[in-house]
Amino acid sequence: MKSNRFLSTKIAPRLFGLTFSCCALFCFASKADDWPQWRGPQLNGISAEKGWSDKWPDNRPNNAWKTNVGLGLSSVVVAKGRVYTMGNADNTDTVFCFDAETGKGIWKHSYPSELGDKYFDGGTAGSPTVDGDFVYTISRWGDLFCLQAATGKVVWTRNLQKDHDVQLPDWGFAGSPRVYENLLLLNVGEAGMAVDKKTGKTVWQSANKEAGYSTPLTGRLNNQPVAFFTSGQAFVAVEPATGKEKWRMRWITQYGVNAADPVIDGDKIFISSGYGKGSALLKPAGTGTPEVLWQNKSLRSQMNSAVLLNGHLYGIDGDTTEKASLKCVVFATGEVKWTEPGIGSGGLIAADNKLIVLAERGEVLIAPADPAGFKPTTRAQVLGGKSWTAPVLANGLLFCRNSRGDLVCVKVGK
Amino acid sequence: MNRRQFLQGAAATGLLLNAGPFVLGQTSGKKLRTALIGSGWWGKNILKEAIASGRCSVTALCDVDARALEVAGEQVHDLNGETPKKYEDYRELLQKEKPDIVIIATPDHWHALQAIAALNEGAHVFLEKPTGQTVNESRAMLKTALASKKVVQVGLHRRIGPHHVSAMKFLRSGAVGDVGMVRLFAHGGGGRENPTRNSPVPDGMNWDLWCGPAPLRPFNTRIHPGGWRNFLDYANGTMSDWGVHWLDQVLWWTDEKYPKRVYCSGGRSVAGPPILNEKEQTTDAPDRQLAVFEFEKFTCTWEHRHFGENHNEKHRIGAYFYGTKGVLHIGWQDGWTFYPSNNRDKMIHEDSQLQQPDGHNLQLLWANFLHSIDQKELPVANLEVAHRSSVLPLLGMVSWRVGRSIEWDGAKEQIVGDEKAAELLSRPYRSPWKYPEL
Repeated sequence: MKSNRFLSTKIAPRLFGLTFSCCALFCFASKADDWPQWRGPQLNGISAEKGWSDKWPDNRPNNAWKTNVGLGLSSVVVAKGRVYTMGNADNTDTVFCFDAETGKGIWKHSYPSELGDKYFDGGTAGSPTVDGDFVYTISRWGDLFCLQAATGKVVWTRNLQKDHDVQLPDWGFAGSPRVYENLLLLNVGEAGMAVDKKTGKTVWQSANKEAGYSTPLTGRLNNQPVAFFTSGQAFVAVEPATGKEKWRMRWITQYGVNAADPVIDGDKIFISSGYGKGSALLKPAGTGTPEVLWQNKSLRSQMNSAVLLNGHLYGIDGDTTEKASLKCVVFATGEVKWTEPGIGSGGLIAADNKLIVLAERGEVLIAPADPAGFKPTTRAQVLGGKSWTAPVLANGLLFCRNSRGDLVCVKVGK
Repeated sequence: MNRRQFLQGAAATGLLLNAGPFVLGQTSGKKLRTALIGSGWWGKNILKEAIASGRCSVTALCDVDARALEVAGEQVHDLNGETPKKYEDYRELLQKEKPDIVIIATPDHWHALQAIAALNEGAHVFLEKPTGQTVNESRAMLKTALASKKVVQVGLHRRIGPHHVSAMKFLRSGAVGDVGMVRLFAHGGGGRENPTRNSPVPDGMNWDLWCGPAPLRPFNTRIHPGGWRNFLDYANGTMSDWGVHWLDQVLWWTDEKYPKRVYCSGGRSVAGPPILNEKEQTTDAPDRQLAVFEFEKFTCTWEHRHFGENHNEKHRIGAYFYGTKGVLHIGWQDGWTFYPSNNRDKMIHEDSQLQQPDGHNLQLLWANFLHSIDQKELPVANLEVAHRSSVLPLLGMVSWRVGRSIEWDGAKEQIVGDEKAAELLSRPYRSPWKYPEL
């Protein structure tokens, strides 16, 4: 096993600086934050929200409202007081819009769509994406929608399978749409595709091969804009405006499942997959196969991505078929700091240097993001069933869903 | 050697295992050079047991899908540091590597040719169930195996799983009374099946070789990986996949070797008519089947459904042995339970002891395989017993295809008085592959 370990001397001071400036701005005031897209406002699973309650009285959730949205793994997104998610019932997908505070239904939009319960409960996989006045969704079978955020009215729609004869991965398209300037990036094809977000017209396409299951991730590497896609066999970096490939890292897993989004930090990118594959820290140099700084099996992200805080990754390690655990791993070296068993295939986000974990069995755990150990200040059962979806925090409200579609909104604002 | 001694042997191997494979390797001399043909999910499960036994080195891997080869190669390297050679064509592997042991975990349509070739190259064989896709393939394999004097273990791990062994002991003790009927079943939820679009053959995959002696269908992800079990070109559906395990329990229990008559009814009106065209495909196996196997002293039924999951019943899968003293259920994850007829008597239950996540007992089955190689003994799931068990669902499929009951002369292994049904004991092979000779 290859494991080139070295410590970056650049990361720590820079992160320290970042932490310091955040603190200076927000230390004494609570800060609210929307969560308009998968992985949140900064595309990294971290919310800037502060002043929310990390110690729930009697470990009980203060439920604002609860509803059911049908089968699926879609998370929620929150923008301008509205919350959006998706689910499937009776071979129909429905996009829901609720009032975030009250849970009152504002609109819903439905279209025929297979349950697709191959080796899991089935239902929708990707999450909606809000961009200004519009909401974008993609179904597992390639139905792409641009809806008016306020009304749910269809602005444009198309089916990528029909229009482009694109190859479906085994479980269908699971990534969420990602807005990049005037484009909507989609994990469709070997290294993504892009449509014009105003018209839905195709702008660029990659080879018609099996896509992976991650959401396109945009960012900057080596001072250049970059978009990351997964295929069934690789992590691929492209120019977001043109789709031109910059480099790829061959990354073969059983069943072609590369699902967790990468994590970018400076000039490095962390990639991880489940099915025993493990993770690697890459240092790309423009084009050509990136340098592998380390590669090991300490963090095997089957579905949900890790969050990076102060040089440490916190993520779910293991598959749904085993007892997955929560781990803390040093970003620079891949060294495991601690392992918290019993979490299962849940998901997590972070806010104000605290981890908010939704364990597979529907328990919320809140704990300081501390490389010394996992010491929850709250452990509360919020859902039954099975939760494979990361929770979402927005404006003092915490949203948790399970795979059968129970969606609960917990008040955590002080 | 009796079963208890077998189990003790297996337990001893397990204990030694804990000392670490490298220690064992040094003390037990030369390792058995092991090759895997069919490097997917289940093949790797078996191979992990070979590695964990500490007595096998992984010489070579074979798969027609380069992705599967790469994943399997990496897993072997992680587990024991070896870098096995990789082959696309099993014939080349066998000729070049001459392995001591060959594990065959390919789809059913490949079992016969590969097992016979491995035996002819002098290897011991660990073969996945069912033995053949048609009865005469299985017979040809058995003939070759008996002539070879090599050990063949078939993946019927329920022959050695602890709760099965104890349930069988309980059944044989007479605690269930006189058993006149056995009901076997496996049910799962589902409904109408929508077709899946055909797609280009994945990079690095030899699809023609995957299909081999069976018909060449357009590539479809519903078939590979894993979905072939419900395509009758490559397997025989749920009765043969799941049913063979439970039918094997029946043959393990009874002293009768075969049924005298078999009838099977079924269809796929819920899943819908099978679709196969240039654009898309569905499976074509029945969405439900009910088969009756008439033995001299008891009646045995198999049933499965791909819809209407039986939440109304406590047990979803397994075997009910109905006796004069009560009903014994042998299950999977739920162990075994005896429901006495007399209400004053207590229910008796024993938990399963399975290896997770996939709920099997391959470790014990592999230990028994190695023990049999060492001692030149028949393993618990040897080809002869596994052949007889595999023939049952295959005969069920013949009856289902011709739509009438068939009379089975088990001593001669022939269907009596039904030429059309008898033809279905074999199948045409796609050129240039040749159906194995009897």
